Amino acid sequence: MTTGSDDIPQDDGLLAAEYVLRLLDPVEDAAFRARLAQEPALAAEVTAWTTRLSGLDASVAEVAPRSAVKTGLERRLFGQPARPSFWQRAGLWQALSLASVAVAAFFALQSLQPPQPIAPTPLFVSEIAAEDQSLRLLAVYDSAAGEVRLTRTAGSAAEGRVLQLWAIAGEAAPVSLGVLPEDSTTAVILPEALRPGIAGLILAVSDEPPGGSPTGAPTGAVLAVGAVSAL
Amino acid sequence: MATTEEIEDLIARSAIGDRAAFSRLYDRTSAKLFGIILRVLKDRASAEDALQDAFMKVWRHASRYSANGASPMTWMITIARNTAIDHLRRRKETVDVDDAADRLVSSTPTPEQSAVAAGEARRITVCLDELEQDRGAAVRGAYLEGRSYADLAESFGVPLNTMRTWLRRSLQRLQECMAR
Repeated sequence: MTTGSDDIPQDDGLLAAEYVLRLLDPVEDAAFRARLAQEPALAAEVTAWTTRLSGLDASVAEVAPRSAVKTGLERRLFGQPARPSFWQRAGLWQALSLASVAVAAFFALQSLQPPQPIAPTPLFVSEIAAEDQSLRLLAVYDSAAGEVRLTRTAGSAAEGRVLQLWAIAGEAAPVSLGVLPEDSTTAVILPEALRPGIAGLILAVSDEPPGGSPTGAPTGAVLAVGAVSAL
Repeated sequence: MATTEEIEDLIARSAIGDRAAFSRLYDRTSAKLFGIILRVLKDRASAEDALQDAFMKVWRHASRYSANGASPMTWMITIARNTAIDHLRRRKETVDVDDAADRLVSSTPTPEQSAVAAGEARRITVCLDELEQDRGAAVRGAYLEGRSYADLAESFGVPLNTMRTWLRRSLQRLQECMAR
C-alpha cells in the first residue's frame, strides 16, 4: 500500500509527481509550493514520489568531472582552494625528521602549491635548537593571525629560571617576544614591524631570571637559535 | 560508492562548516551527480557549471538534510537534477542558489514508510516496463532529462494536452504497480 495516498485526494498524488518531475507550469508550480509549506500530507507525497522515482538514478552512469571543477567550486565557496588547515600543515612539519627536512620540504612545497594563480599563504617555520639538541622548539608562523606558534619538543628551563623568546631582524637588537610558559605549546604575537621580514628572521631562546630579562635585552645564555624560512 | 552512513556523516559535518568533510563528500558523490546533470544538460561545460552550483547548494543547505525524508544520495541527486533543470530552462539567467533547495520538502516519514518507499524505488524499472514503450520513455525523459510537457509532446508528435493526459495516466499506473 502506498503511504499517504489514501488520505488525500488522488489528484494531489499526481500533482506531487508532476512537481517532482518539474512538469508543472510556473503558475501551477508556485501554487503547489505555497500549499507544500502548509500541508504536511502533500510534503509526504512529494517525498514518496522522490523516493519512488529515485530508483531510476541507478541507471545513470557515473562520470568523473575534471579536477578543475572542484578547484573552481572551492574558490567560489571559500575564496581560495582548500588547503590542509594550518595545524595540519604544522603537524606535517613537526613529523618530519631533521635529516629529511630538505627533501620533504621540497615535496611538501610542491604538494601545497595549488595549480592556480592565487598564491597560497606561505608557511614560515623555524627550528630553534641548541647545538646539542638539549633544547629544541619548533616555531610556525601563522601569517593570518600574525602569531608564532611554538612547540617545545626537547628541554626546559633550568630550576628557578625561565626561557625567553627573542626575534632578531638583521643587525637590529633582539626584540622580546615574551617569556615562554611551562606548557610545551604556546603562541606569541609577532610585532607588526617584524612581519614583513619574517623570512630570514632569527628566533632565539635565552636563559633568564623569573619574569624575564630585566633589561629588555638577553641577559643570560642564548640556549637555542633558529632562522625562519618559508616552507 | 560510499555507504549511506558515510554520506550522512559527511553531510552532517559539512553542515557545521567542516570543509575537509565537504571535500570528501564531493569526492565520493561528484561522479554520480555529474552523470545525473550531464543527462539533463548534455553539454559538458554547462554541466560543470551546474555541478558547482549544485554543490554550493549542498554546502549551504547541508543543515536541512536531516529534516528531509529521503536518503542522502537521493537528497543530493534531487538538488543536482533540479539545478540542472534550472540551467536548462533559464540558461543565461542568474541561478538563484536557494531556489532548488527550496524544492526539497521537510517531511519525516516513519521508518516503515521509508522502507516501503525504498522497496518501491527498486520496482520502478519493472513497472515502467509494464507501460507501453513510448509512455515509459516519456516518464524517463521527464525524470532523467528534465523534459517538459511541450518538449515531450513535440518529440512524440502528439498535442500537449494529450501528452499531459498520457503522462498523468502513466504515473497513476506506475504508482499502482509499485504499490503492489
